[in-house]
Amino acid sequence: MSRRIAVTGLGAVSALGATAAANWEAVREGRCGIALHRFEGGQHAPEPATFPAALVAEGFSAALEARLGRKVLGSVDRFAQLALCAAYDALDGAGLVDHPALNNRTAIVLGHGQGGQETLEKSYERFFGLRSQRMHPATVPKIMVSGAVSAVAMQFGVHGPVFATSSACASSAHAVIQGAGLIHTGLADIAIVGGSEAIATPGCMSGWQAVQALAAQTCRPFSKDRDGMAMAEGGAVLILEDWDHAEARGATILGEFLGGGMSSDASHITQPSLAGTSAAMAQAVRAARLVEADQVLISAHGTGTPLNDRNEAASIHAVFADRARSHPVIATKSAHGHLIGGSAALQSVIALQALREGVAPPVLNFNAPDPECDIDLVVGQVRPISARHALVNAFAFGGLNASLAFAA
Amino acid sequence: MKVSEDQLLDMIAEEAIIDRKTLSREATLADLGISSLDVITLLFELEEKFGVVIEEGDMPAMTTLGEMVDFLLGRINAEAA
Repeated sequence: MSRRIAVTGLGAVSALGATAAANWEAVREGRCGIALHRFEGGQHAPEPATFPAALVAEGFSAALEARLGRKVLGSVDRFAQLALCAAYDALDGAGLVDHPALNNRTAIVLGHGQGGQETLEKSYERFFGLRSQRMHPATVPKIMVSGAVSAVAMQFGVHGPVFATSSACASSAHAVIQGAGLIHTGLADIAIVGGSEAIATPGCMSGWQAVQALAAQTCRPFSKDRDGMAMAEGGAVLILEDWDHAEARGATILGEFLGGGMSSDASHITQPSLAGTSAAMAQAVRAARLVEADQVLISAHGTGTPLNDRNEAASIHAVFADRARSHPVIATKSAHGHLIGGSAALQSVIALQALREGVAPPVLNFNAPDPECDIDLVVGQVRPISARHALVNAFAFGGLNASLAFAA
Repeated sequence: MKVSEDQLLDMIAEEAIIDRKTLSREATLADLGISSLDVITLLFELEEKFGVVIEEGDMPAMTTLGEMVDFLLGRINAEAA
């Protein structure tokens, strides 16, 4: 790894707020964005159903619109709108909006599990429900999974390498690693990385219900009575920047991306594998030289499903062995829900702020310890930490694993 | 009359995401940045709202916004009569 990679901007929008700062404030205060919502699919849909979800409040795009107008925002699906707002928050904080470096030496890599699901469902309603052959002309560009990165490139005038990654719940973790790779190989000096998701739609929620992944009430990571995840929408973006480039332009350096690990279980489409998840973590730990670190803040994938959390706790033991309980574990999906493609990026945004402030936010909705998850879980209230490093896990359906290592 | 010129200009501003104040009759479609996709999106919305089917292929070659507005108003309001 020849070029060091600085983090110079953080952006986020979720049920917890419309900026990275608001999201951090909410998790630090132990606020939960998950609530029961009724999903109503319209006249051709079955009876409405109620599921826990963490939905983004309207008005999330106000800051972007006030500064830059509605240039691209109004013509794209919600998942791309969320990506635009998170990107704006991060670029604005990094001092890069309208900066000449965006023109040719900047890349964009964002991850999404799916594309424009809201648009897809509306178009299906027209086709199958209303039996209409006439689709809205923007149907295809709004649905495509690369629609968000294209929107960000158009909004901010980015002409370098731009593409999307898709690996279900690990999409934005893969995006971070790919963006860092573009800086390492000299193809870019800055990479706008992260992800977004807006699949809390009536049809999609039924699909998640069918796979029995959703909690009845809320997300309780690592709690003995956990019963599933809470779907969320939102997006998060980090600005990765060549260290020397960041210093030369006088940017505030918020942290460092030290490296990542990636693996594939090649095993089962929904069940995790200890060998696969621990391999990704071990790679990231080696890349960042954290094997012997006194304390590493671990931001767990922690979906709140029985299988994930048990396997993840075992992975932490497999990687850190007798030092496993030295490392505080947080699980912020208990606050912001599971943003699928956007989760790893939002967890990275939160973990970096936790390192900078020296406090770990508590796992919410936790009722009772699970003997099968014997890790140092941060519960109850925020806990002061000495960690200077963080590990962010993302273990996706289909056995696609990624782990990210940061310092701050 | 189903639609006034003002209402149509509101729709064009909305669909093509253009500042309503810049929409003058003399402005060219190219200068306003109104693309082919913007035009077919507008035709789609007109059909949704007013039930008027106008195919893009039926539209004559046009340079200015005024020409497009006159053509569209003629078609929409003719069918209303």
